[in-house]
Amino acid sequence: MKTIQNKVKIDPVTSQVIRGALENIAIEMGHKLARMSYSSIIRESEDFGCALVDLNGQQLCESTQSTPLQSGPIPGYIRGIRKIFQERGDQFNPGDVIMHNSTYHGASHGPDIGFCVPVFYQNELIGFSVTTAHHLDIGALTPGSCGIVDAVDAYAEGLQFKAIKVYEKGKKNHQVWSILRDNIRASDMVVGDLEAQIAAANIGAQRYVSLIEKYGLETVLAASEDLMNYSEKMMRNSIERLPDGTYYAEGYMDGYLDSDDVNKKDLKVAVSLTIEGSDITIDLTGTSPQVDRPINMPFEGTVDCAIYLTLRSILLDSTIHGHIPQNSGLTRPIRIIAPKGTLANPIFPAPTIARFCSGNMVADTLMKALGQVVPTQISAGVGNLKVVSYSGLSDEKYWVFMDIMEGSYGGRNGMNGMDAVDTLYANTRNNPIEDIESHYPLRVNRYELRKNASAPGKWRGGIGSVKEITFLSAGSVSIEAEGHKYAPWGFAGGAEGYIGGVTLKQKTNEKELPSKIPNTTMNEGDRIILTGPSGGGYGNPLERSPEQVLSDVIDQYITRDFAEKEYGVVINENFEVDYFATEKLRKG
Amino acid sequence: MKLVGVDVGGTFTDIMYTDTEKRNTWINKVPTTLEDPSIGVVQGISELCTQQNIEKANINHVFHGTTIATNAILEYDGAKTGMITTKGFRDIIHIGRHQRPENYSVMQEIPWQDRPLVQRRFRKEVSERLVPPNGDVLVPLNEEEVRVATRELKEAGVESIIVSFLFSYINPSHENRAKEIIKEEYPDVFVTTSSDVSPQFREFERFTTATINGFVGPKVKNYISNLKGRLKDEGFVSDLHIMCSNGGIGTAESVSERPVNTLLSGPAAGVLGGWWSGGLSDRKKLITFDVGGTSADIGIITEQGIDESTARDTWIAGFPVMVPMIDIHTIGAGGGSIAHIDEGGAFRVGPKSAGSRPGPASYGHGGTKATVTDANVVLGRLDEDNFLGGSMRIFKQEAFKVVSELASQLELSETETAEGILTIVNNNMANAIHEKTIQKGQDPREFSLVAFGGAGPLHAVEVAQILNIPEVIIPQHPGITSATGLLTTDLKYDLIKTEFLLSNEADYEQLNSDFNLLEGQIIDQLQKDGINLSNIEIKRTADCRYIGQGYELRVNLPGNEITPENIKSTWNEFNMLHKSEYGHCFENSPIEIVNIRVTGKGVMPKIQKPLVSKEGSIELALIKKGVSVFRENGELREFETKFYQRELLPANSKIEGPAIIFQKDTTTVMPPNCIGYIEESGNIIIKIGGIQ
Repeated sequence: MKTIQNKVKIDPVTSQVIRGALENIAIEMGHKLARMSYSSIIRESEDFGCALVDLNGQQLCESTQSTPLQSGPIPGYIRGIRKIFQERGDQFNPGDVIMHNSTYHGASHGPDIGFCVPVFYQNELIGFSVTTAHHLDIGALTPGSCGIVDAVDAYAEGLQFKAIKVYEKGKKNHQVWSILRDNIRASDMVVGDLEAQIAAANIGAQRYVSLIEKYGLETVLAASEDLMNYSEKMMRNSIERLPDGTYYAEGYMDGYLDSDDVNKKDLKVAVSLTIEGSDITIDLTGTSPQVDRPINMPFEGTVDCAIYLTLRSILLDSTIHGHIPQNSGLTRPIRIIAPKGTLANPIFPAPTIARFCSGNMVADTLMKALGQVVPTQISAGVGNLKVVSYSGLSDEKYWVFMDIMEGSYGGRNGMNGMDAVDTLYANTRNNPIEDIESHYPLRVNRYELRKNASAPGKWRGGIGSVKEITFLSAGSVSIEAEGHKYAPWGFAGGAEGYIGGVTLKQKTNEKELPSKIPNTTMNEGDRIILTGPSGGGYGNPLERSPEQVLSDVIDQYITRDFAEKEYGVVINENFEVDYFATEKLRKG
Repeated sequence: MKLVGVDVGGTFTDIMYTDTEKRNTWINKVPTTLEDPSIGVVQGISELCTQQNIEKANINHVFHGTTIATNAILEYDGAKTGMITTKGFRDIIHIGRHQRPENYSVMQEIPWQDRPLVQRRFRKEVSERLVPPNGDVLVPLNEEEVRVATRELKEAGVESIIVSFLFSYINPSHENRAKEIIKEEYPDVFVTTSSDVSPQFREFERFTTATINGFVGPKVKNYISNLKGRLKDEGFVSDLHIMCSNGGIGTAESVSERPVNTLLSGPAAGVLGGWWSGGLSDRKKLITFDVGGTSADIGIITEQGIDESTARDTWIAGFPVMVPMIDIHTIGAGGGSIAHIDEGGAFRVGPKSAGSRPGPASYGHGGTKATVTDANVVLGRLDEDNFLGGSMRIFKQEAFKVVSELASQLELSETETAEGILTIVNNNMANAIHEKTIQKGQDPREFSLVAFGGAGPLHAVEVAQILNIPEVIIPQHPGITSATGLLTTDLKYDLIKTEFLLSNEADYEQLNSDFNLLEGQIIDQLQKDGINLSNIEIKRTADCRYIGQGYELRVNLPGNEITPENIKSTWNEFNMLHKSEYGHCFENSPIEIVNIRVTGKGVMPKIQKPLVSKEGSIELALIKKGVSVFRENGELREFETKFYQRELLPANSKIEGPAIIFQKDTTTVMPPNCIGYIEESGNIIIKIGGIQ
C-alpha cells in the first residue's frame, strides 16, 4: 500500500482552521453514536470511542465524550485489520464496513468491537473512520461480556472477528448478521448498537471527505501532520524538563485469591520508567508470567493505552496545560517494552477478556514510578474498579445489564482525592438508579460513600462508595474486580487507602467474595453489596489543617476518635477544635 | 399599551420603552449597579420617563432580563442550603455520574465535590421509598424524621431546603408532604421539591437541578421583591415579568418560586430580539449571532420556533440543569479574545479574553496582547474616530504594535497576521454554528444570520461565507437586541411528566387524561396571571426514543383526543427527525414516549414594527473614504472602502461592498462582493456574493 507524501507547507492559520474542523468531526461521531445506541453501557456509561485515522495508521482526532480506553486503541485496530488483510490478500473498497475485535490484532478486548469505514477520495484510499464500543454480550460461555473470569482461552471468550466485512462494496452481508443474531444474547440490543456504530463511522467518513473537498487533500494531510507534530512537541517539551534517569515501582494484584494455584494470585506489575532527553521508555520486565485466566492484558489495545493515558494525564494534565489535540503525535516520544509471555504481553490463545482492572493497575504503578519524578503532579494510589454483569431470562429472552462500579483517587498536592469516580484509563458514567429499576428486575437499596474509610494524609484520599442491589427475580451475577487484598498506596507520609470488597447476602448465608466472581446464580431476594476501594493519603496527616479535619468530622467522613488518633486533632463534644490539646498531641 | 424592557448586563443596563399604539420607541442606557442591579433598573426607567415625558403610572408592563441567578451559581455565592433525601442516597449529588469532567487530568476539580451546593453535613436522610413503574410506596414517609431533620437544619442556620426523593417524578406525594412539614416547622425557609422543578427521571440531574434552585432561590426572591418595592416607591404600578430560559416570560411570583428557570434570562432575550428582527424581514429560518467582548452566543430558529436544548445537554458552572431552555451555544470568542502563539508553536485565538480592563491594546488602557479588536483596527475595519459613535477612542498605533510583535514571531506580515487572527476566530465561531446546524441535519444555506452585540456585525459576513449562509441581517439597534427581545415575548409555562409509554402497547386513556390534567394546570396558572382564555395557546409535545435508547428527541402530539390513528403522525415525525438529526433511523423498532410536555403560552402585547425614514441620501450618509484590507480570490488586497453613518442611511437604498457602516452601538463590515439593502423595517440585509 502506498503512502501519500506531504508536499505542501502549511500556514499557521489554515492549520488551526483544519484542527478545529477535524475535532468537530470526531465530536459529531461521538454525539451521534451515544444518542443512537441502545444499551446503557454505551448511551449512559459512554464506553465507546470514535476517531479518524490516516493512511499511515496515525490517529488524527478523537471524540471528546468517549472513554480513553476506547479511542486510544483505534490505531491498533487499524494496524490489525491491515495486517490481516495483507495476509489474506483482501482489498479495501468504497462501501466496505469492517468489523474487528481480535485482541491479538490490536483490539482492546473481545467485547470492544471496532467498525472501520475506509475513506476514499477520488477513488483512492486516504484513511479510515472508526468507532469502537463495548457490547453487552458477544456469545461467551456465560451471559454478559464482563466477569467472564473463568474463560480458559480466547475461544471461550465469545466470537472472534478478524477483520470481517459486514458490508462489502455497499452490500450488506446478511449471512454474517444472521450468525451474530444467532450467537449473541440480548441480540436485539447488541445488533442495534452495532448498527449505530456503523452509522456514526459513516458520518465520520462523509465529513472527512467534505473537509478534503474544501481544502484539498495535500493541505489536509499537511495540516494533520502539523497537528501531530504540535502534540508531539508538547509532549517532548514536558518530558525534556524532567531529570534523566530510571525510576522503578511495583504493585500487586489479587489475581484469583480463592485459587489453589499460587501462580494465579498475588501477581506483580513491575514498571521501569527511563527518561532520556525528550524520550520515555516504559519497561514492564519483571511483571508476572501470563496466567490461564483472562486477566492477561493485550499488549496493544490495553497496556499501551494505560501507559499513554497515564503519561498524558500527568505530564500534560489538561487542567494545567489546557486542551491539547489527542492524536498519534502524543505517543511518538514513548516506547514500551513488555516481555512476551507475561501478563502484559500474553501469547495467543491466552484469554484476555477480563483485563480491565489489570490495565488500571499498570496505570497506577506507572503513576507510582512518576511520583519519584514529579511528586506534585500525581495522586497517591488509586482505588481500582469493578465491572459487574447482571442477567436473567424472561420469556426465553435474556436481559443483561452491565455496570461499572467506581473506585476513587488518592490525595493530591493541595487537593483531596476525588471521591467515588471512575479511575485512570476508564472514564465511564454510572447508570441512574431510576433507569436501572425501571428496566431490570433489580432494586438499589443504597448508594453512598463508605463510612469511616478516608485514608489520612495532609490531603486525604478519595472515598470509595457502596452500592447494594437486590434481585427481584432469579438471575445471575458475575464480577471482575481488583483491590480486595492490596490497598492503594499512600504517598509522602500519607496512609494507605482501603481495600474494596463484594458481599453476597442470601437467605441463609452471608459471605465475602474474592475479586473474581464467575457467573453465580442469584435467587429472588438475594443481595450483592459492592464496596469500592478508597485511595491513599498524600503527605503527613499531622500537617493537615485542624479546620479541614474538623470539617471531615462534621461531614461524617471520619469520627472524632479517628481524627485524634490519625491526625492528632482533638475535637470536643461541641464539634470545636481544641487547639491547645491538638498542638500538644501533634508535638508529642 | 406602554411597555418597558430592561436588560441588565455586566456593564450596562439597557432600557427600551415602546408605545404599541403610537408606535414610538425610546432607548436609555445606564451603568449597571452591580451591588444591587434593581437600583440601576429603576433609575434607568425613571430617567427615560423624565426624558420623554412618559407618565410612570401609565406603563402597563415591565419585562426584565436578569443575571442574578446565573451570577450566584457562576460565582458560587448562594444560600446556605440543606437537603432532605431518601435514606441510603444522601451522596447522589456528590457521586454524580461517577465520571470525571476531564479525561486527561489528575489535578482536576469536580464541581459537585469541590464546590458542593449542599454540604454533606446539611444532607439529611429520612425513611421513605417509592418504586417504579407506578410510584407505589415500598416504605412510607417517616414524617417524624422529616420534622427532626428540619429542626436540625433550622438550628444550623440553613436558609433553603431541598426535598429530593427517588422516583418522585412518578409520584410526588412524599415530596409534597415533606414540604408541608418543613413549612410547618420552619415557615420562613425557601423550599424546593425535585418533582416540582424538574419531574423527570435521572436522580443526579433532577436532584442537582432542585439544588441549584434552592441555592439561588433566596437571592432571586429577595432581588425581585426589592425591585418590586423600588418600582412601587417610584410610582410605577405596572406588573413585573421576568425573562426565562425557555424563551418565555414568567410572573414575578412564579420566578420567585422557580428561579432555576432564569439561568439563561439574558441570552434568551437576545435570541428573541434576533428572531423579531428577522421576522421584520419575513425570514423564518435564522441563526442568531450575538458577539460581545468575551463570548459569542448562537441560537437557531426554524419554522418550529427557537431550538430547545435536550434536557441532558444543559450545564451551568459544570452542573447539569434539567429544565426547558432554549438552545444557546456559547463559545469563548469575541472582540477581546487574545491571539497568541502557544508552547507548541500553534497560532491560537482565545478563549482567554482581555476583558474590558485592560481590554484590547487599541483601547489605550495598557493592554499589551493582540486581540481580535486590534486585528480589526489594523485592517482598517474599526475607525479611530468613529468607534461606538465616537464615544470611545481607538489608539491605532497600539494595535499595530501588538500585531506586528506577533507577526514577527509568526514570520508573517502585519496584514497577514491581523487577517489570520480574524480567520481563526471566525472559523471557531463557524464551527460552533456548524455543530448546531449541519450536525443536526439543518442546511445553513437555507438560513439568514442575524448579527448583533457589539462585535457581531464586524464578523458576521465572513462567518456566513465560511458556512455558505447567503445573507446577513443587521438589526437597527444591534447593541440593545436583548432589551428589544424582552418586548416581543409571551408568558410561557412548561409542564413535564415522565410517562414511559410504548408505541406498540400505549394506554391512550392514561395518555389523554395526563395531558388533560397538565393542560388544566397550565390554563389555571395563565388565567391566574390575568390572561383571557382566548389569548392562551397550548402545545403538546413528547420526548421520544426507540425503546432501549437513552437520549430523546422532541416531537409534536395531536392537540385533540389522541387515538391509535392520529398518533401515527407523531411516530412518523419521530422517525424523520431521528434520521435528520443522526443520519439513520430504525423504522421497525418500537418507540417509547419518555416524557410528555405541555407548553402554555399567554399572549402578551408586543413592540410594533419600526419605520425608518426614507429621507436623506446615500451621499449624505457617506462620511469618509479610506483603505481597508480584504481577501479576494485567496489574495490579501487593499481596497478603496466607503464608510457610512448608519443613522443617515435612508430606507430602500442600497450600498455595495467593500463598505463599513458606523453606528452608535456597533460597526458593520461589508467585504467586497456584498450588497447591503436598507429596509424600511430598520434592518440592513447583506447579500453575500459567490454563494449559491
